[in-house]
Amino acid sequence: MKEISHSKRRATLLASVLAGALALPLAAQAADPIKIGVIAETSAISGVAIPNGAKLAAEEINKAGGINGRMIEIVEYDDHNSAADAVRAFQRAGNQDKVVAVIASYVSEVVLALQPWSARMKLPMITPGAASDVITQRVHDDYANQKYVFHGYLASTQIADAVCEAGKDILVTQMKVKTAVVMSEDAAWTVPLDEEYLKCLSGIGIKVVDHIRLSPDTTDFTPIFNKVEGLKPDVIVTGISHVGVQPTVQWQQQQVPMAMFGVSSQASSSTFWKDTNGAAEGVVFNMVSAPDVASTPKTIPFAQAYEKKYGITPGYAGYTAYDDVYMYADAIKRAGSTEPDKLVAAMEKTDWVGTIGRIQFLGQDSKFTHGMKIGPGFVSGLMVQWQGGKTVTVWPADAATGKLRFPANIKLGN
Amino acid sequence: MQAIQILIDGFAISSLYAIGAIGFTLMFGVSGVLNLSHGAIMVVSAVAAWAVAGALPVGPFGGALAGVVTGVVFAYATYLLVVRPIQTSRTIPGEEKEIFVLTGTLIWGIMLAEAVAYFFTNNPKTVLPLISGVVMIFGERTPSNKIMTAVIAWAVIGLLWLLVNRTKAGKTLMAAAINPRALTLLGYELSHIYLLVWGIYGVLVGLAGVLLGAFLGVSSDNVGTLTASAFSIVVLGGLGSVSGSLIAAYVVGYLETFTAYLIAPSIRTVPVLLLLVAVVYIRPQGLMGRR
Amino acid sequence: MRTSRLYPLLALILLCLALLPFGVGGYILGLLTVGYYYGVIAMAWDLLFGFAGEVNFGPSFLVGVGAYTAALLNHYQHWPIWACLIAGSLAAMVGGMVLAVPALKLKGPYFGLITLVAVLLLQNMLVLFSGVTGGEIGLDVPDVLTISDNGNYWYALGFMTISGAILFGLSRSPTGLILQASGQDAIEASALGFNVAKHKMVAFAVSAIFSGLAGAMLIFYLATVSVGTVVDLTIGAQVIIAAVMGGRRTILGAALGSVLLIIGNELLRPIGQLATFFVSATALVMILFFPGGFLGRLLRPEGRE
Repeated sequence: MKEISHSKRRATLLASVLAGALALPLAAQAADPIKIGVIAETSAISGVAIPNGAKLAAEEINKAGGINGRMIEIVEYDDHNSAADAVRAFQRAGNQDKVVAVIASYVSEVVLALQPWSARMKLPMITPGAASDVITQRVHDDYANQKYVFHGYLASTQIADAVCEAGKDILVTQMKVKTAVVMSEDAAWTVPLDEEYLKCLSGIGIKVVDHIRLSPDTTDFTPIFNKVEGLKPDVIVTGISHVGVQPTVQWQQQQVPMAMFGVSSQASSSTFWKDTNGAAEGVVFNMVSAPDVASTPKTIPFAQAYEKKYGITPGYAGYTAYDDVYMYADAIKRAGSTEPDKLVAAMEKTDWVGTIGRIQFLGQDSKFTHGMKIGPGFVSGLMVQWQGGKTVTVWPADAATGKLRFPANIKLGN
Repeated sequence: MQAIQILIDGFAISSLYAIGAIGFTLMFGVSGVLNLSHGAIMVVSAVAAWAVAGALPVGPFGGALAGVVTGVVFAYATYLLVVRPIQTSRTIPGEEKEIFVLTGTLIWGIMLAEAVAYFFTNNPKTVLPLISGVVMIFGERTPSNKIMTAVIAWAVIGLLWLLVNRTKAGKTLMAAAINPRALTLLGYELSHIYLLVWGIYGVLVGLAGVLLGAFLGVSSDNVGTLTASAFSIVVLGGLGSVSGSLIAAYVVGYLETFTAYLIAPSIRTVPVLLLLVAVVYIRPQGLMGRR
Repeated sequence: MRTSRLYPLLALILLCLALLPFGVGGYILGLLTVGYYYGVIAMAWDLLFGFAGEVNFGPSFLVGVGAYTAALLNHYQHWPIWACLIAGSLAAMVGGMVLAVPALKLKGPYFGLITLVAVLLLQNMLVLFSGVTGGEIGLDVPDVLTISDNGNYWYALGFMTISGAILFGLSRSPTGLILQASGQDAIEASALGFNVAKHKMVAFAVSAIFSGLAGAMLIFYLATVSVGTVVDLTIGAQVIIAAVMGGRRTILGAALGSVLLIIGNELLRPIGQLATFFVSATALVMILFFPGGFLGRLLRPEGRE
């Protein structure tokens, strides 16, 4: 009868809809991508390397089949170098876009602002470029809440030690340096850096005659360089990241007779040479990995792939962001889950050979909890120098691809 | 010796400020427009100079020329796309036109800054100096570029003086600044005069941008401060007074330099801002202002 | 639009907004929360500009003073939130009075300059003392209004509603009409016997209190304060754009403009960095061709344009 067939049709329709509805989430889950959020200042040279490096890693992993068949999706956020924007992006990443983990920023103040949110939202986070010691200090002091945070770069104290270690050879032995001026930007990451500089420089026999902290907003460095020159040090030990192009250009234009040696984050990318119109010649800076040194078998292929895809060599945080995606993927595989506590436990057991070295995270017994293990065989530093438009690794001796070379106006040693 | 350093540095930076400020005040004096995209056009010109010199084998002079031309192009763009539509609009009430021009140029400036940041990142760019190397002045090593900046600045000021005082076009400009209505009565086309002043403005701003780029380097982050700086100098000297802006530029330049050398580089702008506040409270028409 | 039609319509809109948390995700609520706070700042700006005729190029000065006062007191002295809010508003009011003094003496662009200089001075001071204030990157604020997205949304909506009611009521009151007269033609207004100066002072005080309070509440939502969030010149630009786009001299238009701006920025998020560019371009087109703004036609009080 009409009524029965009508209701039969309705039943069939209902059944198929139900079946479809059940099948849909199953089908969806199989194709469900694993989302990783990347928060960085994309209009800055050092910042854009982070999403670039991350995307490169995701592409490679996906090409090889993803993580157990699930593809990685990188969700990018521009934090405009503002803590408030970064916090909003983080909240969006976790609450709206449902990422399972975050790679965040190279600016310590931003990372420090995100840390409480990582704890509140139980969303794992790693920084590929920020340096402040406080990051790991917080994890050490409040492990139960802060364990979701990992420090994928060296702490400022460790960087200073690396610079001094290189200084023993380069500054003291080769350049015969006896006095230095420490020149850093006024920022969170340089507070522990400078503290350690002052200690370890005197430890290698160099007297620090002055310690200048300049505002990151400075555009005219003339008075600062004039002051430095007046103090007549043998070298300028630097701690700059937010500024780089302007002081370097003005250093060269004024022909300041002292070399710049230490940390200069912007110097790590090939655009630095162009941006300074070659004034970077002779600047010696610390990097954890360089495009011409095979810190590991993965380093040079990564640098080449990056340059092929983006046209410039990777900024320093590009290497670490690339490694971070791989480490997350590895941890997810080992944990068999993306659930935060399991992911964190798996991350802690990381033993990964990345582009910057062999990465293991320190535990609660170290004061740098969830920082990386530093030292021979793990992650160590290099000193790189700009020569004729190319970056040349000049330290340590077994990794060096060239010798120290300075412009004519630099007076070396006494 | 520090005194010589202060003297030279102060002179160089003041000359740089002067060019930008003169352009800004001329624009206000002749056409009543306070162009809040001033800093943005400077940065665009500097970035253009850097980009052209990097992409084409034209050397520093070619780059600088490209920068100045860019300044003129964007000045006209500002006039034709933003300012003139507001000035000739029938829907905006007359007494509010000034506010709308201010807001419009402010927004335009933001657009330009964002565009620069998008295409070139906010990393500072430096323009190849026209002359590289250093010279010794009274025992102080000074980049030749700095001397060049001061020389060019004064050459331009001299040319401007000649233009205003010795050419018919220039005199018309000055007349327009004093009494535009009378000028129209005499049969002059104000619109032609405006086109001329925007062209001159473009040259001044483009040049200021290029020189700044060679001297210190610029980035899209500097846009706001550059506009504010020009605005401040011009108010200090008296809105609309070219000689006032010139003097004020040197006052500001030297005040900043003294502060940077003798107190601390990080607070170099503070005494200037305080001076500005004092002037606006006590003598709002500025040093040489007329109104 | 007649008030008899306006108020029920507003009530309906507010009811819908209040019910949003039951249908909409936390992220969108977060956006609207910020939008509502900016809405209050824009409305306060409109009161000053639209009614007192004073172009404030640095609304972020008042917002910054309010926000930082509250943040510093909470961060270092651990004052409770309500005390910080009061302190912030009072500090901003003082700031407003300081700005008012030259305003009464200066004409046109000069006042605009003071407001710009005020922002620059504040910015410089904050960056100079970045050891205390956190400078450019910011300072974290230990207390938050609440962790719940819904809670924060309702706080913001409630705040905007109450502030809007006060500001709108003020604009339609006799004081408001006098303010409007003073703004459009001060000479005529004083000729009519009104104390222009006193009324402008009131406008400044009110604008300042609301701006400062909005800034203070905002930082207890964000849990962080930085030069970039509350003091930057671009904040001022956003506020001005919102008010002008929404419709000058309508108060409510400013709130609408703010929300639209936030939504616009969000919709354009996929194009990444160029979002600000396009929003600004839209704003520019709007002020060139629709200077009355969205609500200009609808809500412009009777009288001359």
